[in-house]
Amino acid sequence: MNALLALPVVLPLLGAGVSVLVGRSRRAQRAVSITVLTAIAAVAVALLIQVDDRGVVVTSAGGWPAPMGITLVADRFSAVMLLTAAVMLLAVLLYAIGQPGAERNHVGFQSVYLVLAAGVNAAFLTGDLFNLFVGIEMMLTASYVLITLGGRLDQVRSGMTYVVISLMASALFLAALAFTYAAAGTVNMADLAGVVAGLPDGTRAALAGLFLVVFGIKAGLFPLFFWLPDSYPTAPSPVTAIFAGLLTKVGVYAIIRTQTLIFPGALPRWLVLTVAALTMVTGVLGAIAQDDVKRILSFHIISHIGYMIMGLGLATVAGLAGAVFYTVHHIVVKTGLFLTGGLIEHHGGSSRLSRLGNMVRTAPLLAVLFLVPALSLAGIPPLSGFVAKLSLIDAAVADRQWPMVASSVAVSFLTLFALMKIWFGVFWNGPDEPDAIEPPATAAAPGPALMLAPTIVLALGAVLIGLGGGPLYDYSVRAAEQLHDPTAYVAAVLGEGP
Amino acid sequence: MTALLTLHAVTGAIAILFGRRLGRRAVYVAGLGPLVTFAWLIAEFGTILDREPITESVRWVPRLGLDFDLRADGFGALMLLLVAGIGVLVFVYSNAYFPPNKEGLGRLIGLVGLFAGSMVGLVLADNLLILYGFWELTTITSFLLIGNDHTDARARAAALQALLVTGAGGLAMLAGLLIVGHEAETFSLSGLIADPPAPSTALTVGLALVLVGAFSKSAQWPFHGWLPGAMVAPTPVSAYLHSATMVKAGVYLIARLAPAFAGPVGWWRPAVVTIGLTTMVVGGLRALRQTDLKLLLAFGTVSQLGMMVAVFGLGTADAVAAGSVLLLGHAAFKAAAFMVVGALDHAHGTRDLRRLPRPERGQRPVALIGAIAAASMAGVPFALGFVAKEYDLEALQHSPWAPGLVTAAAVVGSALTAAYSLRFFWGSIGRMATESPDPAVAARRSPPGLVVPGLVLTAATFVAGVVPDVLDRLVSASAASLRPTVGSVHLDVFHGFNLTLVLSLVALGGGALIFALRRPLEPVLALGGELPVTAATGYAAALRALNRTADRVTGVVQNGSLPIYLGVIVLTAAIVPGTLLLSGAWNDGDGAIVDSWSQAAIAALILGAAAAATALHRRFTAALFLGVVGYAMAGLFVVRGAPDLAVTQVGIETLTTVLFVLVLRRLPDRFEQRTAAPMRVLRIGVAVVVGLTVFGLALATGAEDPATTVSDTFIERAYPDGHGRNVVNVILVDFRGFDTLGEITVLAAAAIGAVALARAGRRPGGVRDSAAPPPVPLDRITVLEVSTKVVFIALSTAAIYLLLAGHNQPGGGFAGGIVAGAAVALRYISGGIESVRRLSRSKPWTPLGVGLITAAGAAIVPLLFGGSVLESGVHTLDVPVLGEVKLTSALAFDTGVFLVVIGLAMMVFESFGDDPPARSRDTAGGTR
Repeated sequence: MNALLALPVVLPLLGAGVSVLVGRSRRAQRAVSITVLTAIAAVAVALLIQVDDRGVVVTSAGGWPAPMGITLVADRFSAVMLLTAAVMLLAVLLYAIGQPGAERNHVGFQSVYLVLAAGVNAAFLTGDLFNLFVGIEMMLTASYVLITLGGRLDQVRSGMTYVVISLMASALFLAALAFTYAAAGTVNMADLAGVVAGLPDGTRAALAGLFLVVFGIKAGLFPLFFWLPDSYPTAPSPVTAIFAGLLTKVGVYAIIRTQTLIFPGALPRWLVLTVAALTMVTGVLGAIAQDDVKRILSFHIISHIGYMIMGLGLATVAGLAGAVFYTVHHIVVKTGLFLTGGLIEHHGGSSRLSRLGNMVRTAPLLAVLFLVPALSLAGIPPLSGFVAKLSLIDAAVADRQWPMVASSVAVSFLTLFALMKIWFGVFWNGPDEPDAIEPPATAAAPGPALMLAPTIVLALGAVLIGLGGGPLYDYSVRAAEQLHDPTAYVAAVLGEGP
Repeated sequence: MTALLTLHAVTGAIAILFGRRLGRRAVYVAGLGPLVTFAWLIAEFGTILDREPITESVRWVPRLGLDFDLRADGFGALMLLLVAGIGVLVFVYSNAYFPPNKEGLGRLIGLVGLFAGSMVGLVLADNLLILYGFWELTTITSFLLIGNDHTDARARAAALQALLVTGAGGLAMLAGLLIVGHEAETFSLSGLIADPPAPSTALTVGLALVLVGAFSKSAQWPFHGWLPGAMVAPTPVSAYLHSATMVKAGVYLIARLAPAFAGPVGWWRPAVVTIGLTTMVVGGLRALRQTDLKLLLAFGTVSQLGMMVAVFGLGTADAVAAGSVLLLGHAAFKAAAFMVVGALDHAHGTRDLRRLPRPERGQRPVALIGAIAAASMAGVPFALGFVAKEYDLEALQHSPWAPGLVTAAAVVGSALTAAYSLRFFWGSIGRMATESPDPAVAARRSPPGLVVPGLVLTAATFVAGVVPDVLDRLVSASAASLRPTVGSVHLDVFHGFNLTLVLSLVALGGGALIFALRRPLEPVLALGGELPVTAATGYAAALRALNRTADRVTGVVQNGSLPIYLGVIVLTAAIVPGTLLLSGAWNDGDGAIVDSWSQAAIAALILGAAAAATALHRRFTAALFLGVVGYAMAGLFVVRGAPDLAVTQVGIETLTTVLFVLVLRRLPDRFEQRTAAPMRVLRIGVAVVVGLTVFGLALATGAEDPATTVSDTFIERAYPDGHGRNVVNVILVDFRGFDTLGEITVLAAAAIGAVALARAGRRPGGVRDSAAPPPVPLDRITVLEVSTKVVFIALSTAAIYLLLAGHNQPGGGFAGGIVAGAAVALRYISGGIESVRRLSRSKPWTPLGVGLITAAGAAIVPLLFGGSVLESGVHTLDVPVLGEVKLTSALAFDTGVFLVVIGLAMMVFESFGDDPPARSRDTAGGTR
């Protein structure tokens, strides 16, 4: 059943082609996207079941065996990332269709969105370092297009920052690939795992560090994150939501994948942990300093990336399990929060705190849709964030990393503080600016049903991931065991003949 | 027990969600939780009091030790009695207190129901992490309840303070619980207490953090500032959360932990008892200065909580029993006192003791409740408060740590308590009024709903005060569950004429004296409010500091300058790997950097052109030098024997240069700013560091020279297995076709983006409204126009040839597409966009779409036959001219690539080159 591995990449590409051809019919485009993304979600479920049963599933593109051809691999980590991404892509697509203006005015939206999906999926499924580059490029190019959708001047200006920095990252990635190939003669990740282990430790650490920087730009690590809060908030809401949920997480995925599989132990632990702590702290301080819903949420992304990297930095099974769980939780919750942010903007006509207010009265449903994921993000039980944060802090305590325990707990508190800034500004306070128009309190829904439904589903997701934390965390531990000891992964890739 | 929790959650949620429709009935719905819990408790009372805890466990996240372990033992039952019993009374009271048409009643009362559920969970939890979970839930519900009247800025500020202080404490506690749990190797509360871990530094830190959480929740000095602020909440909420139940959570935790840790952990008693007694005195002093009865009670609560912390903190056998009595006594009198304030507020519209009138006939029951509650608070004999105080003073006298000091402090605190109790009573019956009541405001009679709950509580206070034996079973079970060695406890009103009685009487008398002499004593009493760092100023300063730090850090990190961002990125990318390389071992090879002279010459050309591009000030020239770099790269490929790459590189370079020209038409001729000298030096420095790192990495990785490389395999297998002599093409369309599939998608997406942006620019408000100069037209030359038609046909033929022959000779879909793109470019240069449009009747995105479908189809079709994705088949054909051709399915894929590249070229011209030349010439006249 190796088709399962290829479909999440090639189906959206086929869909994108069809979508380009039927560009005149919005309906046909929507049908194509919904069909493709639903199919991928189904494939992802099937793949997850298969992977959890068999451990690692492998296929070779073109039938060329590793390390010569490109291998597609799914282990438990990639399978769960794929499934989460598929659900988010579908949810945000529906939201975008429901939102007036986001998708309607742009012929390219649907096809480019599918390209983004293909890129994200390729990044999760590939077992080949160069192909990872291609996957990330697909995702990024699509994101360049999406971030400037609408072409407003401020969008293009902040989009420029994003594009230029991403291109710089891509150039660095390419250089890193060249160095790796020069030293190892292969770009297959499983093959690299063996070859890189034999390199002199300086060379190995330098390569590991270069990849950490390259993916750290995408993931938004300290001190490489500044592009993110400058560019995300200007895009249309659904675009920001999917970026916030998935793009940085692809960076995190790539960091975890390369560091655990190719460069285990190559980087000093203190380095990774320090980066994690600084990312957490500067991110959340940035959030506190903002006065715009989308900007606060954007800075939060950075802060929480720090938690995931902390799990990696601990390098224990418990730490990695926490990182896996945290990543999945964060994708769902963050996407949901940005969707709510979009609804706030839709309902209140702005995303600036000073122009919004009293929404707890005018839009109580939005208050709930904000509060649930926000409290989850802050780690309030029984929501997903509680289990996620607990697993990571517990891992840090078990490993006696006191500075990390301290910073993760302190940042949890600051997260709550920053989120309450939104709660106060949007829901409790009245608008500060005299000319701000407060929407009237009506019994009507605060947005189109197609925007509300995905938002509600994701808020429920925060509850369900929390309540279903037991089996999910067990799965994360199994995924972490694979990451911690990649011998099964390597054997599955290299052992399978043509 | 889980059913009880579920009931609370469901009824609370229903009341919140359907509040508008339910109206007043929301109170009954949400009140169901406490009522059923109370009934359950009464039914199970016998079992629990006979020292048989009821346990229940639901698995949640077993691997993290996070499971719903619930356990109702004696102490739990006592707490549950407060939570559910007072809960029921508060709901009865609320029903009368809130006007039936109050906006948001469902939300308010539903939250109270949710709070009750969280509190039930908190006192039943036998798992430290679950306990923390419910703890946080009480914080959140309390936050939302304090800020219920969100239009009031004071309410919002108070809510935030409560959330931040108790939330921060809660998180500290989480860290503490995790540390303690890891030391004990269990998260079971009963397990931890039965077998406490040996003292260690980690345990000390863990316990200290847990205590910070407990202190902040129970409003202990210096974290007490939030509790008086919380009084902006509706009075039933204050009565329930902020006197009877939630604020006792910290006391509850200390009570649980003290018996296990007070002895072995040496600093426990000094720390906990000191904090508790300090709080008691500070709270008492502050209470004496309040004029708002509610605030008076709030500071009284702070003071009493301090007493509880001190007593339970001792952890001795006497103390656990005495503390249990105090918990009961305090909850009964304080909730009743709050209800009195609520009734007064309801009747007179004020709760300021300077304005409250003397009670009329109908208000006498309220005054009676107030009297008994105040008596119990002050510790007057025959009220439960007296019994409690007696046992507390007894326990403190037997304190293993500084008994004399501790007892003295408690007596001072008790005297203050007696004094503010008097003040409360005196104020509540209008004896301290300084203004005559407003005759226009007629006093409203208190409905029975506001009186009966208070009567029930005072009746209990009085009965238990006269015959405390009724509590024997409960207190014995409670004490025994905290400290198993405690035998059965027998409560008495009178213990004979001993020191304790004397102390009690001293406290009462002292209290009366302080109250009587309140005016002369004013400066002494003011001490409580004038400590160097009060809770309020500390909180405000911390908040300001936090916001300032956030602004500063963000200002530095997020300065908005793209050059600085890029500089930081490249510098990080250089320093991190560079340092790691230098701090470990690496090979530097044999020192040979170049293979041949030609290579060195080309490298010099590249370097020179690149340097020139950075130094020049004219955009166009800089672009040309970049082109030189590109062509020189192609030269390097030729030298290394890769003609295919060279062809592609030249094609790309040509197209890029054309694009540059198109774009540069719209930009100023020169780069706008020249950078200042220090900035230039900095930039050069960054460039040098980056260059050195890249050089070092290239040297280190190049020196490795792996024994086998994938390229060797590619070359070996290209013809036998890949059926092509052109290795590059076989790699592109077959061996690594999956990459190519992705790359053409990148092109397609870029093309779509370019068109979308260009279109957006044409709309009002779009990019083009910016201050960009008008485009400079290209002149048309007729000869060129004609000759290009010829060249176009030649180029097109060449493109198709490259596509078909590419598998065996230099070429391929990509190279073919690029050449075709160059042909399109030629058409554009000669005939403008119209000429490009005439090429095909279809829209430019048609080749793009068809190309994508073809390529993706070539990937998917093999899957249908059970093959791998993109697996190629082969079929040999005899074609005239070309001879024997091995037709591989890779050709289909390559055609897709070809089409996408053509589509890209067409779309790029569509988006950038679509100004009708004639019109632009008119508008742009003379700008050159």
